[in-house]
Amino acid sequence: MTPGKGAQGQGSPAALFQDWLPAAGRSTGQSLPWLAAQRVQARARVRELGVPSPKSEGWRYSSLSPLLEQGFRAVGEASGEAGSALDPGALQTLLIPELRSHRVVLVNGRFDAALSALGTLPRGVRIGGLRDSLARDPDALEGLLTSVAGDGSHVFTAINTASLDDGVVLLMERGALLEEPLEVIHVALPASADARGHELAPPVAHPRLLFSLGDGAQAEIIERYVGPGGGPSCTNAVVEIALGRGALLRHRRIQDEHADGFHLSGVYLSQGADSRYEGINIGLGGRWARTDLVMRFTGEHAECDLRGLYLAGDRQLLDYHLDVHHGLPHCASRENFKGILFGKGRAVFDGLVYVAPDAQKTDAAMSNRNLILSPNAEVDTKPQLEIYADDVKCSHGTTVGQIEPEMLFYLRSRGISAGLARRMLCLGFAGEIIDGLGPAALREHVTEQVGARLEQAPL
Amino acid sequence: MLSVKGLRANVGENEILTGLDLEVGPGEVHAIMGPNGSGKSTFAHVLSGREGYEVTSGSVQFDGHDLLELEPEERARLGLFLAFQYPVELPGVNNTYFLKAALNAIRKSRGESELDAVSFMRLMKERLKVLHLDDSLLKRPVNFGFSGGEKKRNEIFQMAMLEPRLAILDETDSGLDIDALRIVADGVNALRDPARSMIVVTHYQRLLDYIEPDHVHVLARGRIIRSGGKELALELEERGYGWIDEVAA
Repeated sequence: MTPGKGAQGQGSPAALFQDWLPAAGRSTGQSLPWLAAQRVQARARVRELGVPSPKSEGWRYSSLSPLLEQGFRAVGEASGEAGSALDPGALQTLLIPELRSHRVVLVNGRFDAALSALGTLPRGVRIGGLRDSLARDPDALEGLLTSVAGDGSHVFTAINTASLDDGVVLLMERGALLEEPLEVIHVALPASADARGHELAPPVAHPRLLFSLGDGAQAEIIERYVGPGGGPSCTNAVVEIALGRGALLRHRRIQDEHADGFHLSGVYLSQGADSRYEGINIGLGGRWARTDLVMRFTGEHAECDLRGLYLAGDRQLLDYHLDVHHGLPHCASRENFKGILFGKGRAVFDGLVYVAPDAQKTDAAMSNRNLILSPNAEVDTKPQLEIYADDVKCSHGTTVGQIEPEMLFYLRSRGISAGLARRMLCLGFAGEIIDGLGPAALREHVTEQVGARLEQAPL
Repeated sequence: MLSVKGLRANVGENEILTGLDLEVGPGEVHAIMGPNGSGKSTFAHVLSGREGYEVTSGSVQFDGHDLLELEPEERARLGLFLAFQYPVELPGVNNTYFLKAALNAIRKSRGESELDAVSFMRLMKERLKVLHLDDSLLKRPVNFGFSGGEKKRNEIFQMAMLEPRLAILDETDSGLDIDALRIVADGVNALRDPARSMIVVTHYQRLLDYIEPDHVHVLARGRIIRSGGKELALELEERGYGWIDEVAA
C-alpha cells in the first residue's frame, strides 16, 4: 500500500475507511465475547454509514476532503508493529514543567508505560492503559466500556469502536477523591519508515478513554493533544464519561496539534443525578480538527457547563458540534464558546440543546461569540434550541464581530502600539474562558500559547 | 508647546472645525468652553488622533512635531494625554497590565528602562491614594463595571501614572456629583506643574471653580470667538451661551 491509496480510493468510500480499520481478529481482548461483539457490530456500522455526505446536516460546514486526501491508515497495520516510539527527551519538550499531575502518555493512541508517571494514587482510584486493564480485569469494564458512546450515528466513533485496542481508563469508587489532576497527553507522530527505509502511509490512531466516577467522586482531568510535527498525523479519539450521583468532574481539553495534525474527537457524557461536569475545550493547533460533545442526563438536578475557546488561522479548520439532550426535568446546562479567527482561518460552531417534553424546569443558556480579525477568515455558527417542554428557562445568542475601534483607540491613546493593543483585546476576549482553567500552571501555559498564536497572526 | 493654526476638520460632509487657532505655553491651563455642538470634543479628538475626522487645512505643532502626521500612540509617547469624556470599558483587560504596558511603551520611546515590578507597584499605590481610589481597582478590567465617577477618577489616575506634558480633559466634570468633582479636581491640581500644560474642555463653569485656568476661550461654530482670563468663564455663567450666535454669525 502506498500513501496515495486513500486519495485514489475516494471513488469507493467503504474501501477508504477499511484502511482506517485494523485487520479483523488482531485486537486486544479478542477472547472477550462482549467486546468482540461490539467490534463486529461497529464494523458493520462503519460499512452502513460510509463516508458522510457533504450535504448531510452534521457535515455541511466542514469538508472531509483534506482529511481523506492524506491516505491515513490504522496504526500498526501498515508497519506490522506497535507504531513509532517517542523518546523521553522529545517528551520533555511537550510537557508543562510546573504542572503536577498523574501523567499518562499515549503515543499514537497506545499507552506508553515508560513515559507515563502515575505516581501514588489515592484509595479507590484506578488509572491505567486500556489494553492492560482489559487483560487484568475485564469484568470491571464490561457494561461500562462502549456503553456511553453506544453505536451512535457518528461514523468516526464507530471506526474507533471497531478499532478499539488501547487508551486510558480511570475508575473511581464511590466518594473517591483525586486531588492532583489526571493528565492524558496524546502524542501524534507522523509516518515512520519500514525496515527497508520506505516511508509508510501516515497513521491514524484510535484511542479510547473511559472515565467512570462513582457516586460523589471528584476529579480533574487534563487532556492535551500534541505532536512534534514533521508530517501528517491523525488522532480519532473517543472519550466516554460516566458520572455517578453527585460526582464532580472538571475536564480540560487542550487541542494543540502541530500544523499538519488532523484531529477528531467524540466526547460522550452521561450524568447522574446531582452531578456536575465542567468542560473547557481549547482549540489552538492542528490543520483540521473536529470535536463532538454529546451529553445526556440520567438523573435530575445535574449541571453541565461546557465552555470553549478556539483560535483558527491560516490553513486551519476548527469545528465544534454540541449535542446537549435534556431528557429529564430540573437539569441545567451552560454552553459558552468563543472564537478568534484570523488569516484565512475557518471555524464551525454547531450547537444543539434539545429539551424533551418531560424535561420541565430545564435551565439552559447557549452562547457563541466570535472575533474576526481578517476579512478572509470565516465562521459558521448555528446555535439551536429545540424545546418541547413548556416550563423552562432557555436562551441562546451568537455574535460575530470585529475589534471595537473605540477600544483600540483607547489603548493606542495611552501609548500602546496598535499590534499590542489588538493582542491585549483578543486576550481579554479569550480571558473569560481561559480564566476558568486550573491549575495555574495550565492556565499560564494556555495564555502563553494563545499570546504566541496571536503574535503570529497578521493583525 | 502647542500651536494650532487655522485648523479645519470635517466629519463626513460636515465641517465641524472652521479655522481654529490656539497657543498653549508650558505650564498653562487653558479652558475651552462652548455650547453643545460647537466642536469642543471634535477638537480634543483631532488632537489625540482619533479616526473619523478629516483635517482639511491648518496645522498643529506639538513641541516641534507635526502632530497631525503622527499615530495616536506616537502622540501619547510624546506626552499627549486625553482624559475621555466617555472612558471605554475593556472587558478582560486587567488595569495593572494595561497601565504597565502603557507606561513602559512611553518610557521605552524616551529611551528609559522599563520599571521593575516593585517600583511600578509602589508608584501605582501612591497615585491611587491621591484619587481616593481603592487598590481593588488594579485587579479589575479597565473601566469594566465601574461607576461613572470611578471611570472619571480612573482617567485622572492614568494621567497621574503617565505624567503627560499636555493633558486634554474632555468634559471631565460631566456626570460627576460635587464630591466626585472635588476629588477629580484635587487630582488634576496635584498634577499642575510648570512643565505640564492642560486644556480643559467643559460646558459648565463649575469645574473651573476647582481647576483654575490661566486662559479661557469660547468656542462657537468650530472656532474660537473670544479669549480672556478666568473672569470670562464667570461672564459666560451669567450670560449663558445665547449671545454667542450673534457674535459667531
